[in-house]
Amino acid sequence: MPHLGDLYRMASLLLQDRHEAEDLIQDTYLEAWKSFHRFELGTNCRAWLFKIMFHRLHHFRRRIVKASRLITIDGPDAQPEIAAEPLVLQQISDEDILNALEKVAVEFREIVLLADVQEFSYKEIAEMLKIPLGTVMSRLSRGRKLLRQELAEVARSYGIDPRGKQAGAAETA
Amino acid sequence: MNTLSFDSKRCERIRQQLDSYLSNELLVETASEVVRHLETCDACSRDLESRMRIREALQRAVANRSVPDSVRARVVRTLRDSQPRSFFRASAARWALGLAGIALILLSLFAAQWLSLRRGEQLVASILRLGVSDHVICAIKDHNYPEVANPPDQIRQKLGAQHAALLQVVQDRLPGFEVLEGHICTIPGSNRRYVHFITRGQGTILSVILTERNGVNLPKGKLLTSTDSTGIGLYQGHLSGTEIAGFESTQYFVFVVSDLSQNQVLQLAKGLAPALDDTLRTAAPSKPSSSLPGALFQINQEMGIYEGRSSFAPVGLNS
Repeated sequence: MPHLGDLYRMASLLLQDRHEAEDLIQDTYLEAWKSFHRFELGTNCRAWLFKIMFHRLHHFRRRIVKASRLITIDGPDAQPEIAAEPLVLQQISDEDILNALEKVAVEFREIVLLADVQEFSYKEIAEMLKIPLGTVMSRLSRGRKLLRQELAEVARSYGIDPRGKQAGAAETA
Repeated sequence: MNTLSFDSKRCERIRQQLDSYLSNELLVETASEVVRHLETCDACSRDLESRMRIREALQRAVANRSVPDSVRARVVRTLRDSQPRSFFRASAARWALGLAGIALILLSLFAAQWLSLRRGEQLVASILRLGVSDHVICAIKDHNYPEVANPPDQIRQKLGAQHAALLQVVQDRLPGFEVLEGHICTIPGSNRRYVHFITRGQGTILSVILTERNGVNLPKGKLLTSTDSTGIGLYQGHLSGTEIAGFESTQYFVFVVSDLSQNQVLQLAKGLAPALDDTLRTAAPSKPSSSLPGALFQINQEMGIYEGRSSFAPVGLNS
């Protein structure tokens, strides 16, 4: 079953519910099976499957946005670009990272996942989500920044100075 | 390094490009500018390094996320089971309608075929009955032949120039049979004429009758009893102990009629057909044919002239 793992991981990280994610994957493959005649041989099958999945996801979207902690505000980020804090990631678990990601609003989260994990191009993402290229860029920038902020919070909760020092060590130094 | 100033315009502009640089979405010129800046700016380099580490950590965390076996099993089951069922459900009405349509078409075709066969059977039976009647009335009932065969010249004279040549063919192609008589018969009340050869052999009387088709064709296909080596289709029937085998040629239906067995009559007709057909075709071309129902009506009308229309059917066919 090609790309099932990638699709399921994406679905589960967007829906945050295993059963809903399974439903979505099932619908996606069923839809792909039915509309396979529309798939152009030689084109990117993975991108095609993701496109179908996001089309199906559209039906869930309003509920997801309502459930999300953050409200989407597209457009240029009002804050100036500041240097990212050099996080100490070695001490942060995969679970912490995914928990931090889950706190990022879904419309930013999905683009971070598509760009940074699935490594789709801006153009492919724009086609998949049916949004302008500029929106992809601005949401990706915002999403990465939000993730960095969440990870910094995680680091601090462990007593780690996001700048690379243990909080206790900094105090004793 | 003197580029630690975070608020410098240059650093801010470069950091605005870092997301696209990280995604490899920058134009070559812009990417070169970013690289040149990163080579001289520790703060921006650390920023990029931090972003890259976060991305790598995210990739690793997502990749390590397990995919339950149930997902794959469920998708496979859905594709295997749901596809045919949903297809069937969605198309059930269409299927039913299609099958009903096909059934109707097949029924219509069957009915048309059956009707055509029935009409064909009736036509063949009527035509063959004509030949039997000609034989029975002229040769058997009216005994229109001598005990000693008429001289060939006399027969040719009776046949006339148009049919004289047929005598030789009949003589040659019916081994063991002697041509006793040959004449043209007319039927009171009808404009149909037929050429009648009365022969004797194998202890019985056998007629060779060439009756004018008047444009009527014998139906082809299943009603043919047999085909001779030249491809001439032969029809066969029996009526009241009399056997008949016949074929059509140019302007005539040609019949061999006798009280011999079915197979004997058929073999005699097969032996006669090619030469007789050649002679008739040389003498006259075919005429246009009538439609089957019209021909049936015409033949039946003529048969009304004869008496004793008892049951009659082509051999091998249900009447």
